[in-house]
Amino acid sequence: MAAYAVINIEWIEEISMSEGMVISEERTTEENVVCKTGIDELDVQLDGGIPVGNTVLMVGSSGSGKTTLCMQFLANGARQGERGVFFTITEPLFKLTKNMQGFDFYDKKLIESGMINLIDLRIISERLGLDAEKYTVEDASALLEVLKDIADELNVKRLVIDSITALCYRLQTKEMIRDFIFKLGSSLAAMNCTTFLTSEVPPNEVKYSQYDIEEFIADGIILLGDVDRSGDLIRTLQLIKMRGTTHSRIKSAMSISSKNGVELTPLLKSRA
Amino acid sequence: MTNTLIDGLKERVSNAIITNQSVGVILPGNNYSDLIQALFEHIHSRPEDVWAYVTITRPYESIVKQFGDLASSRGNIKFIDCISRAAGLSKIDSNCVFIESPAHLEKIIMEILNIFRNAGDNVQKYLIIDSLSSLLIYNDAQLVTEFFAHLTNRTRLSDIHSVSIAIEEEMNDNINKIIYLRSDKIIKLRESFI
Repeated sequence: MAAYAVINIEWIEEISMSEGMVISEERTTEENVVCKTGIDELDVQLDGGIPVGNTVLMVGSSGSGKTTLCMQFLANGARQGERGVFFTITEPLFKLTKNMQGFDFYDKKLIESGMINLIDLRIISERLGLDAEKYTVEDASALLEVLKDIADELNVKRLVIDSITALCYRLQTKEMIRDFIFKLGSSLAAMNCTTFLTSEVPPNEVKYSQYDIEEFIADGIILLGDVDRSGDLIRTLQLIKMRGTTHSRIKSAMSISSKNGVELTPLLKSRA
Repeated sequence: MTNTLIDGLKERVSNAIITNQSVGVILPGNNYSDLIQALFEHIHSRPEDVWAYVTITRPYESIVKQFGDLASSRGNIKFIDCISRAAGLSKIDSNCVFIESPAHLEKIIMEILNIFRNAGDNVQKYLIIDSLSSLLIYNDAQLVTEFFAHLTNRTRLSDIHSVSIAIEEEMNDNINKIIYLRSDKIIKLRESFI
């Protein structure tokens, strides 16, 4: 019995060492293909970062920090030499830059040097002669081509659309939405470009998108929310899904400050 | 008598925090100012160390008014004020981080770690929580217990020494338990202390 136990332990040790070596090799490979958000705690929760080429839905209600987190993602990437583009459809560019000026991560030079490109999608729509309110299948295809061309021409590695909800509002059917996001995601993944799509949802609802379809196409979902503690609202962030990585699913408290931008720490579990 | 008390406190607290990772100080409310005076004198005498002082008991401005240069002249101490904003005071000071609410315990942890993150590796790092029992005024006891457990885990990992103050009159069983459980040394001030 004792001999059997010894043999068994030796076998386990041998297998463990062998597996350890394989895991180590895989991690080395994976490290080369993740896109670090540059927000330390988030990258830890993502087991290193977002797999390059993933399309990630950034879900939250108004004021939850979606735009700030996306801009910080672009700024951190730009500082690492990764070019990014931010397509806005909900907010004029001057307002966007004005709001970002208060953050230390924001640097005007990143925009002037072309490392971060800010583009108003409504202006593109106008130039394409698209109906501002409703897109036809052809309109959607034309817009998709333009987005792909811009990403390709600028050789961007990080792309943000703020918001996919506003864009989907113009795409009239679920099929069009599915087709648009799927084609956009596939094209950008082929370019090794990691994409954030912001998704607006009503507060305090367990919902990841307005049209109940965006989350099925996305590779990842990051949920931003609030918890009420003694009448104060504490911002929260939770990774719901991220294909291609073993990620955490804990709920974190999120802070947004001018000095450090977005920061995370595990949320204390109030039993009050 | 007061000077003797302050000197005695200073000596005991100084020795305790250098040799222990976490020190709990439990004292009656009427000796609170003596302890703070002793702590600031100690901090003032060690300009090479980096300190973070979390105040939940009184506003930063009030501390500066009472202790003046002793509290800030050496530039080796940063404050985290958890109550001024909640009280509607909106002062801005580069030496102090103002937290909007003492209920935002996670933010307190983040700001503590931020102060020490910028301090470098070759300095001694110290944290003062003033006071753990005051947190009970604004938070559920269970939450404060969890906060303290979480905080001490993080400070131990980052090699930060901590002094946690608790006012005897504000104590309850939960805080009593956790301060004893989580501190390497307890200094309890009594009438016959000196």
